[in-house]
Amino acid sequence: MIDVARIDHWAASGSGPLHRASALSKVIFLVLIVTASVMTRNPYPLAAGYGVLLLLVASARLPWFRVVALSLYSAVFALLYGLSLRGGGQAYALLILKAITPALAMLTLIVSTPYPKLFGLLSTVLPELLSAGLFMTYRTLFILLDMMDNFAVSIRLRGGFSPGSIYKNGSNISKGIAMLLVRAVERASRLYAVMAVRGYHGSMARADADGFRRDDWLPLGTGIIVLTLVLVWR
Amino acid sequence: MTHMHIPDGILPVWLWFSGLFLMGLALSLSLVSLRSMDAKKKIPLLGAVSAVMLVAMSLEVLPIAYHINLSVVAGILLGPALGFLSAFITNLILALMGHGGITVVGLNTLLLGSETVLGHFLFSLMGQRLPVFWRGAVVTALTLLSTTLLLIGIVSVSHIDVEAVLHGHEQGLHAQVSSDPAIKTFAIVMLSLGSIGWLIEAAITGAVVKFVSQVKPELLKHRLHDLPGPPVP
Repeated sequence: MIDVARIDHWAASGSGPLHRASALSKVIFLVLIVTASVMTRNPYPLAAGYGVLLLLVASARLPWFRVVALSLYSAVFALLYGLSLRGGGQAYALLILKAITPALAMLTLIVSTPYPKLFGLLSTVLPELLSAGLFMTYRTLFILLDMMDNFAVSIRLRGGFSPGSIYKNGSNISKGIAMLLVRAVERASRLYAVMAVRGYHGSMARADADGFRRDDWLPLGTGIIVLTLVLVWR
Repeated sequence: MTHMHIPDGILPVWLWFSGLFLMGLALSLSLVSLRSMDAKKKIPLLGAVSAVMLVAMSLEVLPIAYHINLSVVAGILLGPALGFLSAFITNLILALMGHGGITVVGLNTLLLGSETVLGHFLFSLMGQRLPVFWRGAVVTALTLLSTTLLLIGIVSVSHIDVEAVLHGHEQGLHAQVSSDPAIKTFAIVMLSLGSIGWLIEAAITGAVVKFVSQVKPELLKHRLHDLPGPPVP
């Protein structure tokens, strides 16, 4: 479902123009794309907008193929919702484009923005407890993903999975989840204690507090183009 | 089950805006009620439980496309206020990963948050009447039934407006929408396939709560609202 580790690697290791743009400009870009998606009732300008986003992702040296594939994930749910509406082909196209266009913008934001910058920006609008909770969740998620790999291997090695035995498998998986939960609480408590010793008190340091930058024209310009397309092409 | 994978721009603006407003209100109330809590206890626990919820949501039961939420576990361990914050954090991170729209975060948080709140209160109300496994399982089944009905209500309201949106376009999208049968179909699918999911989630929640009560019982004591005690000499 979520390839968090890979997304984190792309965000931290890239050096393209979108990586150099400020987090603030990319959040504004996302707001512009979501606004365009909410406003439109016509699939064609949104299809053109998706094309513009594709060009942006490819030209900014992002892993465009993977990012596009991840954005298409949301199309599955949009299609299911569309089927419940019993609409025509154009209605399905509109629903799918309304799903994948903001998803692509969102993925463009997170694969080009390291999480401290993103959470730092969020912490300026969110209460301290929420931003600290977000940060702890994100860090603990990586610890858990590692533990999940080890858990899956060890349960197989010890014969924990028996094909056809739903009760045994279910029982083992439930115990595994419970064990993950208990260990996650222990690891998170230790992580928080270490951070507190190093001076953390609930707020994130903002690395990009300097506001807009020269490279911001790219996300801001793209967002304005897509919104203009939707407003003009009615 | 009670998490909408509906993307941005599909639900009517008034609906998702109301969702965001109500979510903001509930978050504010939760934050006010949490002011006296000990940060050293609550933040790691909040992070750990939210992260486990995210991991659990990636474990999909393939034949019925169901993923477990562990929202009732979150409610039991965190309490109603912190559980609601956990629901918000989980939904925000899911939206940041492109899993559901950003405008739907409000409604999704209300749905998932109501599971944590209801789960917590039902679990507390049951006292010691049943063994801990069955308490967790029964509470989960009841909670998921209630929130699935809430989800069906939200989708039924949204369908009316989507029809208007599709027909309201100047060229017409000609969607042969018939809201009542579509909602009935949706409700039947949710309640029939969903009930299988509730049983799976109920069994897993019961097992998780039982394991926690045996291995780390202090997590179930709901003493998070206590102020940090005086330093021990």
